[in-house]
Amino acid sequence: MARKVLSGIAVSVGIAIGKAFFLNRGSKASLPRMSITPGNVANEKERLLSAFDAALQELDEIRQKIPGELKEHAAIIESHLMILKDEKFKQGALKYIQEKMINAEWALEKSVADIGRAFSRIDDEYIRQRIQDVRLVADRVQDVLRGKTKGVGAISQRVILLAHDLSPADTIALQVDKIMAFATAMGGKTSHAGIMARSLQIPAVVGVENLEEDIEDGQLIILDGFHGRIIVGPTEEELAEFADLKYQFEAYQSLINKTCHLPAETIDGYQVQILANIELFEEVAAVIDHGGEGIGLYRTEYSYLNRDSLPSEEELFEEYHELAEIMYPRKVVIRTLDMGADKISNHFGSLEESNPALGLRAIRFCLKHKELFRAQLRAILRASVLGNISIMFPLISGLQELQEVKEFYSQVQEELRREKIPFNEHMPIGIMIEVPGSVLIADILAREVDFFSIGTNDLIQYSLGIDRTNKHVSYLYQPLHPAILRSIKHVVDAAHEAGIEVSLCGEVAADPFCVPILMGMQVDSLSLNPQAIPGIKRIIRQATMEECKQLLKQVIESDTVDYSNKLVREMIFNRFPEELMFYTSLIDE
Amino acid sequence: MTNKNYFSSQVKLLNELGLHARPAAKLAQEAQKFSASIKLKYGQREVDAKSILDILTLAAPGGSTLTLCAKGEDASEAIAYLSQLFAQRFGEEK
Repeated sequence: MARKVLSGIAVSVGIAIGKAFFLNRGSKASLPRMSITPGNVANEKERLLSAFDAALQELDEIRQKIPGELKEHAAIIESHLMILKDEKFKQGALKYIQEKMINAEWALEKSVADIGRAFSRIDDEYIRQRIQDVRLVADRVQDVLRGKTKGVGAISQRVILLAHDLSPADTIALQVDKIMAFATAMGGKTSHAGIMARSLQIPAVVGVENLEEDIEDGQLIILDGFHGRIIVGPTEEELAEFADLKYQFEAYQSLINKTCHLPAETIDGYQVQILANIELFEEVAAVIDHGGEGIGLYRTEYSYLNRDSLPSEEELFEEYHELAEIMYPRKVVIRTLDMGADKISNHFGSLEESNPALGLRAIRFCLKHKELFRAQLRAILRASVLGNISIMFPLISGLQELQEVKEFYSQVQEELRREKIPFNEHMPIGIMIEVPGSVLIADILAREVDFFSIGTNDLIQYSLGIDRTNKHVSYLYQPLHPAILRSIKHVVDAAHEAGIEVSLCGEVAADPFCVPILMGMQVDSLSLNPQAIPGIKRIIRQATMEECKQLLKQVIESDTVDYSNKLVREMIFNRFPEELMFYTSLIDE
Repeated sequence: MTNKNYFSSQVKLLNELGLHARPAAKLAQEAQKFSASIKLKYGQREVDAKSILDILTLAAPGGSTLTLCAKGEDASEAIAYLSQLFAQRFGEEK
């Protein structure tokens, strides 16, 4: 197999060398559509029929394994079996092979399209939706035709997982013991899959060009999570070279882990608190192991995903309480629900939003669905008794909105007092600053809260007007854009003017190239993914506040992002050369 | 052709939700056990009762009246058996 190098975006560092394994969810584009010769018609028909048979057998085996109490599921599978046995469906596809002289995969899709047209005329919505069952059944047959019959659960050896895209649900199902690394065709620098890869500590590359076309299942590949590339069919020399790099990286990691429990204090005595961003309760161990001094951002969305009902107050309380207990006396900042109806639409119906990023989400969504918000606030308040929890509200965009939140929060506190349920009366309240509007009125907002946390991922998106997951514009995601640096500085200064603390949570806090500048702004704490903590602490411990301030001064006055990037790279190159070798940066090379 | 190989019967659909996925699957499944060709008529439309997709596209609502027709050796047994299924709501509760 010819050697090829595919480029993408590095989102999680490290090297993996192993076999490619495609997650069974190819895009439609990868479906082979071919014309066939008259001599192949009989063959192709036979192939289609045996694929139907194989799919039928497979599904029947699944049906037999379903225990009696899950009859509900059995009924769905029964109807799928009947669709597989449906002569109309099969004959429709066979006819296309015969008459149009096309391959089985294509013929099957045409038959599905015909059925889809017939179904689209049905008035009864429930029955009309059954076309989805036809689709699922057809996918099963397609999988057999293409020789792929496996989901994440079917992985039996350690592999490099490849997929068109990975949804949050997919990443939850990933078994780390079987996956060395992963790569996707979709996604950008700060997409969800990248966050998951870093928290699982496996190398990952996203937005890989031609991923599905140029790599075959089972092929030997090298995934380079430093430079964002995949080498298909590597040479012997490359295999040796990357195995060596992998070894060096692991040695470097073990070196920085040795000093990760020391405070993040510059040579000239300026100390910054290093906190962790986590989204799964299970990550707590990683926070402590990597020297995290607390949790600066606990994302609470996971308890609401992948389930049929909303979590109860009791369930949330248990979760937050246990988290606070394990982390005690370290602090835990819990952010209230930061998602929109699109993620939990089962309960709230889908909204027609042409632009969900600017739509009914985060705090706006919670204020609209007060019962959901009340349950979460009560759970956080009840868990606050230990005294180490702070509460934080996302996406605040104005003073009145903040006052409305605080008003509701007081009501909930009052309810608890009436019910004689204890809570911390002095739990610190903070807000995320992630909308340019809030940056400009930071002085006004600062009077209302105990702390700020600057969410740079969204702030950069909103300030520069780019979608960070869109690979066509993700090059404009520039943390060192003067507008961004000025915004951050403005917020930090406003917070300090008002005597409140300011933290920074976002990808930049974990970026060794950005950290010296953030230090120069004198933020009180940085909150980052646990795995990045040792490296960031090491940089801070070797830096001086003086040089950080100096760098900030130059960069904030720079005319162009290119010039800023150059200044930062020079500093890192001169002062922390090993970071250049092992870290990826949000700053373009 | 009024011979003993052709039978038909009117049936009433008692399932509240109409001929949705489960009853349709059941009907097709049971119809396939007979060698006779079996049709299901609703209004102006006539479909193959052995095809779940055909049955679904009828989208017959609860309370509607349909006609079952069978042609073939076991046509009489087929009509008797399938009419029973309609009367028993295909084993559904409502």
